[in-house]
Amino acid sequence: MQKLLIFVDKVSTWVGQAFSWLIVGLTLLISWEVFSRYALDHPHAWAFDVMIMMYGTLFMMAGAYTLAKNGHVRGDVLYGFFPPRLQAGLDLALYILFFIPGVVALLWAGYNYAAESWAIHEGSNITAEGPVVYPFKTIIPVAGAFLLVQGIVEIVRCVICLKDGEWPSREEDVQEVDVDKLKKMVHVEDEDIAKLDEIVSRQEEGRK
Amino acid sequence: MRKEVWFGLSIMAAVVILVFALMPPPSQMTNGHLGLLMLAMIVVGIMLGFPTAFTLMGMGVFFGWLAYRSVDPALAERQILDLMVQRAFSVMSNDVLIAIPLFVFMGYLVERAALIDRLFKSLHLATARVPGALAVATIVTCAIFATATGIVGAVVTLMGLLAFPAMLKAGYNTKVAAGAVTAGGCLGILIPPSVLLIVYGAVAGVSVVQLYAGAFGPGFMLAGLYIGYVIVLAKLRPDLMPPLPQSERGIALPAFAQKLSPRGRNAFNGLWRALVGGRSSGVASPTVLGQFIVTLVPALVVLAMWGVTWQLATSPEIEASTAGLVQAGGLVAADVKKEDAGLIGGAEDTGVKEPPAEEAKEMAPPAAAQAAKPDSVEKTTAPTVKPDRLPTPTWLWIVLAVAVAALAVLYWLWSWERLEVFKMLLSSFFPLAVLILAVLGSIVLGLATPTEAAAVGALGGLLLAAAYRFVTHLREDQPAGSNMGGTVATTVKELGGIVKESAFLTAKTSAMVCWLFVGSSIFSAAFALLGGQGVVERWVLSLDMTPVQFMILAQLIIFLLGWPLEWTEIIVIFMPIFIPLLPHFGIDPLFFGLLVALNLQTAFLSPPVAMAAFYLKGVAPPHVTLNAIFAGMMPFMGIQVIALILLYIFPDIGLWLPRVLYK
Repeated sequence: MQKLLIFVDKVSTWVGQAFSWLIVGLTLLISWEVFSRYALDHPHAWAFDVMIMMYGTLFMMAGAYTLAKNGHVRGDVLYGFFPPRLQAGLDLALYILFFIPGVVALLWAGYNYAAESWAIHEGSNITAEGPVVYPFKTIIPVAGAFLLVQGIVEIVRCVICLKDGEWPSREEDVQEVDVDKLKKMVHVEDEDIAKLDEIVSRQEEGRK
Repeated sequence: MRKEVWFGLSIMAAVVILVFALMPPPSQMTNGHLGLLMLAMIVVGIMLGFPTAFTLMGMGVFFGWLAYRSVDPALAERQILDLMVQRAFSVMSNDVLIAIPLFVFMGYLVERAALIDRLFKSLHLATARVPGALAVATIVTCAIFATATGIVGAVVTLMGLLAFPAMLKAGYNTKVAAGAVTAGGCLGILIPPSVLLIVYGAVAGVSVVQLYAGAFGPGFMLAGLYIGYVIVLAKLRPDLMPPLPQSERGIALPAFAQKLSPRGRNAFNGLWRALVGGRSSGVASPTVLGQFIVTLVPALVVLAMWGVTWQLATSPEIEASTAGLVQAGGLVAADVKKEDAGLIGGAEDTGVKEPPAEEAKEMAPPAAAQAAKPDSVEKTTAPTVKPDRLPTPTWLWIVLAVAVAALAVLYWLWSWERLEVFKMLLSSFFPLAVLILAVLGSIVLGLATPTEAAAVGALGGLLLAAAYRFVTHLREDQPAGSNMGGTVATTVKELGGIVKESAFLTAKTSAMVCWLFVGSSIFSAAFALLGGQGVVERWVLSLDMTPVQFMILAQLIIFLLGWPLEWTEIIVIFMPIFIPLLPHFGIDPLFFGLLVALNLQTAFLSPPVAMAAFYLKGVAPPHVTLNAIFAGMMPFMGIQVIALILLYIFPDIGLWLPRVLYK
């Protein structure tokens, strides 16, 4: 079971990471467009549509990845204090109550929305003669499907946690604040911090 | 289970019971009541700790369906699905939010450029004579670095590793040191380019450009207040922040400076004489020339800036006259429209807009002559005759005189140590400052949209990271005697890793913010459908508050929400409720946004959930307690409240710049 969970995690992660390279493309595209417009005096009409599409695809497709890494913002005031079983119970109830209906609705609505767009071969509604929009609209059901699968995995995790009393492990990933890496970047060792402790305790004694 | 858990759960249960008790019986329940129920439920739902984006989405779908069902049960399902997907798509194609991933990407890249230690060291040497030098250097470093990265956690952690030990070693009080690091690290939330302001702009429909221009004043005022507080405190209580010993202030002079320094204290003079005197100085002339050029940099920059200003101030007003042309053309088109059928008028209209500038100019004179008032004739016909430069205004000469005087003082004080400090600043402070100023300047002056500036800034961040990593490797490799190719290869490899990490983190952060947006836009649509907004509005208006009272109440609510919730949730969920109320009280949404941004800063510093404190605790020595950090943060929180009041009393602190720039 754990293997299957990790496999789905990996798929979500791989997809999310593959699409996250779009940010590099987006940066380069806009930089080039700015250069081309101001320096070469040669703007491209399609650039704005493509920018928007890259941005939209980037964040939609990273949704499941973020869920797999537990990266969606939570109200963390009380949650952190709960024992794992209570956390899992609440999560399980709310996944079934809110997540599943919401994401299924998004998937279903997105499917129809994209199908209509495919049927009429819809073009851009921002620029005349702009790029086609139906592949972009297809992103909604696709992202919804990935999210749904990842959500089911999370539900299974909740059930496992309810049984075992502790959360099953997740794959490691890049952290926003990776203390060890930051320490290495500024060349600070743990011993340096330990040495500092003396200064602090001396200061406290001095006050007493 | 622990006490606080029961406490929290019982509060939530009380809220739910209270809401149900206050609700009328189901038979009399209107949609407005459902809306209020929805609002109460969402607060409880968020508190339970489920990912907020999906709580909002699920609740929005359910209540939206209820709202549609009350009108026409047969159509309800299709309508809510349509609404939902439209909302999701509008977030996907939002041209304001697109700047978020780009700014976030830029932040991660700059953070990984490994320049913060050099930045801190050079600022610390530059401010060595100021009372509380290390704390001042910490706040300035934080302000600059946080501005460029905007990631509170990383900035506080890094400064906790660099500045905090340095301050403790110098004998600073633990609380003061902790306060400076945490308060400084949070400045990035307010000072543009902050993601918070983009999110607010997208929610409130306020121009992000104006928000950025407006946030300059409050942001720098806050940083200035922090620095002022630290300096005054250091003056009054030297025992809390002892001045640096002479050994810490000094800087090792390189070989050439040691040879030249005995001849005179002033580096400018010394270098000039060595340059003119030739070999007699005993230092190779390329070195001397190089140092002399570095010395001249401030003068050159001042001259260049003055030159550009002169260019702008004396250039004939071409921009103004082209604006006149378009209007005049429009007038003609409008006239044609009146006289003839609409078709021709439309054709004329597009004709004026589309042809390139030259054609427009050819068309201009008759149009201008027709439409222009007598006194503006000179102005509008100016482009046809080759214009002369305008006379240089007096204020420009005054500026020049002041600048020259400042430069004279600077060069008079230009000692060998200062030259070294300046060189360090040149390699750490200025590249970052130039990057930030270029990004913000082009946004605020209207040269580029925030999106474009963010993309170019991200590219600049990448180049910055590349340059710093390369120089670091070069310094490490040089003694080992390895070749240049190896250094380049290591840098490129490392850069690949940096870009990869930054891209992944960017994807996660933007997915977090934007999915929250998807959820909340569905939620607020359902809230509006149920008429919850109307109920809130009627209720607030029935309280009959003055604008001041309303403002204070709103800020108080936001401040209280800032404790349990993150700023993303507050802005995305609760701002749509506040913003429609603003016109009733005649409050500018731009001004309100600045107050909210300043207010939410306080949330980062208010115990017991201040995130900054926990990040610092993570890297502080074990004897530094969380309580000590909280105690250190309190004075800075007080300063934030003072800043909030100042901004409220003198709105011009924030609104002056947008008004001057965009009238």
